[in-house]
Amino acid sequence: MDEERLASWLSAQAAAPVAIAMRERLSGGAIQQNWRLDVTRDGVAQSWVLRTDATATLAVSRSRMQEFALLRAAHLAGVTVPEPLFACDDIGVIGQPFFVMRRVGGSAAAHRVARAETLGGGRVALTQGLARELARVHSIRPPAPTLAFLGAPDPDPCGRFIRQMRAAFDSYPTPRPALEWGLRYLERVAQPATAIVLCHNDFRTGNYMVDDHAITGVLDWEFAAWGDPHEDIGWLCAKCWRFGGPGEVGGVGDRATFDAAYTEATGATVDPARVAWWMIAATIRWAVVAIAQAQRHSSGVEPGLELALTGHIVPELELDVMRACA
Amino acid sequence: MSDAADLLRTARSALLEKIVPDLAGPARFEALMAANAIAIALRSTPAALATLAAADEALGDAGLLVARIRAGGLDPGAPDHAAIRLALLACAEARCAISAPKALGA
Repeated sequence: MDEERLASWLSAQAAAPVAIAMRERLSGGAIQQNWRLDVTRDGVAQSWVLRTDATATLAVSRSRMQEFALLRAAHLAGVTVPEPLFACDDIGVIGQPFFVMRRVGGSAAAHRVARAETLGGGRVALTQGLARELARVHSIRPPAPTLAFLGAPDPDPCGRFIRQMRAAFDSYPTPRPALEWGLRYLERVAQPATAIVLCHNDFRTGNYMVDDHAITGVLDWEFAAWGDPHEDIGWLCAKCWRFGGPGEVGGVGDRATFDAAYTEATGATVDPARVAWWMIAATIRWAVVAIAQAQRHSSGVEPGLELALTGHIVPELELDVMRACA
Repeated sequence: MSDAADLLRTARSALLEKIVPDLAGPARFEALMAANAIAIALRSTPAALATLAAADEALGDAGLLVARIRAGGLDPGAPDHAAIRLALLACAEARCAISAPKALGA
């Protein structure tokens, strides 16, 4: 990374001299690279994060410029996110598009957060916090001019999900009858969406930062799209995303606490049947991703332990789906 | 236990007891994954693989099965519905016995 070029670009954006005091690669994220940037802006110390692309990009996730637009929309809607500062689509600065946001404190470590008794103000407060954050995400409705890249919303999120999953299975070498059984079940019991809203689409423990008192930042907006609010609630509550924590909601807390806080914030009731639908959908969706990742190993594209072991997550997901479907 | 299994078990113990404690960060994570991979290989006994093969065979051609499922031919009320459902569960359980025994309550 050419720090001089970056500093000069940042200074132009900030309309003030920006000097980089420290740059450090942050862990986390197979698709993106995050760098901590401690700078002075007009002599005042600031702590930022620069987010750019890793070499291997996933076709379904958003570009960094789009992610920046989503972060800005979320920030405007009152979602607790790192404040978005500058975005760059000129690859001449660091070689890839990137954006810069303010650094937030806290930790997103999934196992730690799910099992902690006191993080985020305690399990009840954290569960309520999760509900309020999602409520604010879901307050973003189509049409949204700054989010035109999301395309026109599909009025049938359930049908759209089933089609996407079947297309994925059609592209894989091995048929997956158990997961297809789950999709057929979902197809039979699907209901219309209660509303079409912005869904984060990866809102789960591990993707929000939290300190001792509260959520400090909702991260990883690259999968956001228009959908049914229950899509996000189902993903958050899916068994595969509890990281050993005791609570049904993100491993952290219980559904009653979540639902009450969500309803208070939105005025809308959480439909348990739709949450159950999207929990099964979440399991199938994660299985589809896991299968693709395992294939990167088995095909020789990217051999390695992590991807190989990801394939061994799928049987448990298949079992969960089979058990959940009548 | 076969010689191969004994070697794998011994290697896994060495990893966890003698190597991992001296590691940190990505190397530690990699070593723990290696231990996990060995555990899965250890559970891939001839008996476990035979159970899985039998469960898969009971389902027949997977591609044909998927086509039937998608067309709705195995929905509740269809004559094969219950049997296929049990067969799919048996396959998932046979795979979990190797990949994720905790999912079976083990």
